[in-house]
Amino acid sequence: MKEQVVCKTTELEPGEMKAANLGKQNVLVCRTLDGKFYAFLNQCNHQGAPLDKGMICGATTDKSKPGDYHYCRKGEIIRCPWHGREFDIKDEGRMLANPSKKLPSYKVRVEDEDVIVYK
Amino acid sequence: MAKNQIRIVDTDIHERVQYADILKYLDEPFKHYIQNCHWIQEKHMPYTQPAVAGVDRADAVLPDGRPAGSDLAFMQKQLLDDIGHEFGILTSALDPSPSSMHGWYEMATALASAYNDWQIEEWLDKDDRLYGSVHIAAQDRDAAVKEIERVGSHPKMVQVLLPIDDIMWGDPFYHPIFEAAEKHNLMIGMHHNEPPVYYGKWPRYFIEWHTLIPTAHMKQVTNMIFNGVFDKFPNLGLMMIEGGFTWVPHLMWKMDQQYRDLRHEVPWLKRKPSDIFKEQIRVTTQPAEELTKQEFMSLIEQMGTDEILCFSTDYPHWDYDSPTRALPNMDAELKQKIFAENAKAFYPKLPNS
Ligand code: FES
Repeated sequence: MKEQVVCKTTELEPGEMKAANLGKQNVLVCRTLDGKFYAFLNQCNHQGAPLDKGMICGATTDKSKPGDYHYCRKGEIIRCPWHGREFDIKDEGRMLANPSKKLPSYKVRVEDEDVIVYK
Repeated sequence: MAKNQIRIVDTDIHERVQYADILKYLDEPFKHYIQNCHWIQEKHMPYTQPAVAGVDRADAVLPDGRPAGSDLAFMQKQLLDDIGHEFGILTSALDPSPSSMHGWYEMATALASAYNDWQIEEWLDKDDRLYGSVHIAAQDRDAAVKEIERVGSHPKMVQVLLPIDDIMWGDPFYHPIFEAAEKHNLMIGMHHNEPPVYYGKWPRYFIEWHTLIPTAHMKQVTNMIFNGVFDKFPNLGLMMIEGGFTWVPHLMWKMDQQYRDLRHEVPWLKRKPSDIFKEQIRVTTQPAEELTKQEFMSLIEQMGTDEILCFSTDYPHWDYDSPTRALPNMDAELKQKIFAENAKAFYPKLPNS
């Protein structure tokens, strides 16, 4: 399966995510607060949890100093439903605590109201 | 993966009762205290909830909003059927969980009986794969012994559950509990509640506390061994639940070396501590540190036996270990032991065919 319409733009509000199928693969479609769409394999690269059961949120960032929390990136972080590992939607799905690990990603384009995911 | 061919024995599954569901098993006035006075078990943890759904796997919360672990049918579908469990051992969750209650001995005792009856009726009698833990309010030793006498002979009760918290269970005062357990072929399962790992206080961060939980397990093992529990009750076994396992070789070496110097203080020990450990103590695997195969095999070699580790998922909690992903790949014989045989050999009441 090369590409597929996974949903309408109106079905996913900014800050939301949902699971969809691309052929045999289960894909996580995410929409950040600026309205953009992203897609990743819907399976955590740690122990395989279904990421759509987690949440999209912000994160305490590496700008934080000991005892001083710096929180931002709202709507740009996927947090896994099991062990809570955080993945950066806008940075190729990299894990915050270990950026060398990425969630496998897909390309996304929007045509009219269709959100299309492809390899 | 080949692991799928093994029907696993899962040594740590957390079923959960809701206050409303336990009422019918409770006598008055304890029912009244919950129903009319809204009593709930005390809570201490000063931290933010660790993961997306608090201490639960977010995908294990029931679609209708009931808490994770509270529904047998959902657990069967998500865990037992999906993975193909041969057996699972129930260890309960906090709140309410009588074996981990502080204070109010009478409530704790009543709640333990109610919990055991609920567990038997709603879980053990309804699924052949599930085996249970006897809850006791161990702070009231004599009531605890009575409760073991009351339900300990149930064919599906395999252990007595003790919390790892602020009581050291090796103290001779508690030995009648071990005597009663041994009499009924029950092992002791120890699971941490909220052990004060920082000198009686909470550390500032959850990550500090959660990192150091194994130290609380080490304290109980050390205490049980040197107080002579395993010499006094040779048929008793201890399962240390949910403390991981990489601490085992360290503690064996440390205790053996100390024993060679200081045996005179504990002359009732007839075997060196590591031998007692190998013969009578088992350890569940979760939460498994992420080891390479080489690191894992070297650790087992350091333990001097491959019969200590027993696989556990900790379902439905947030730090759940997947049977196919949490441990490194290993050869078929070892896999069979860790995922099934070790637990079967340990619990006398678990079928071992
Ligand atoms: S499976 Fe996602 S954090 Fe472990």
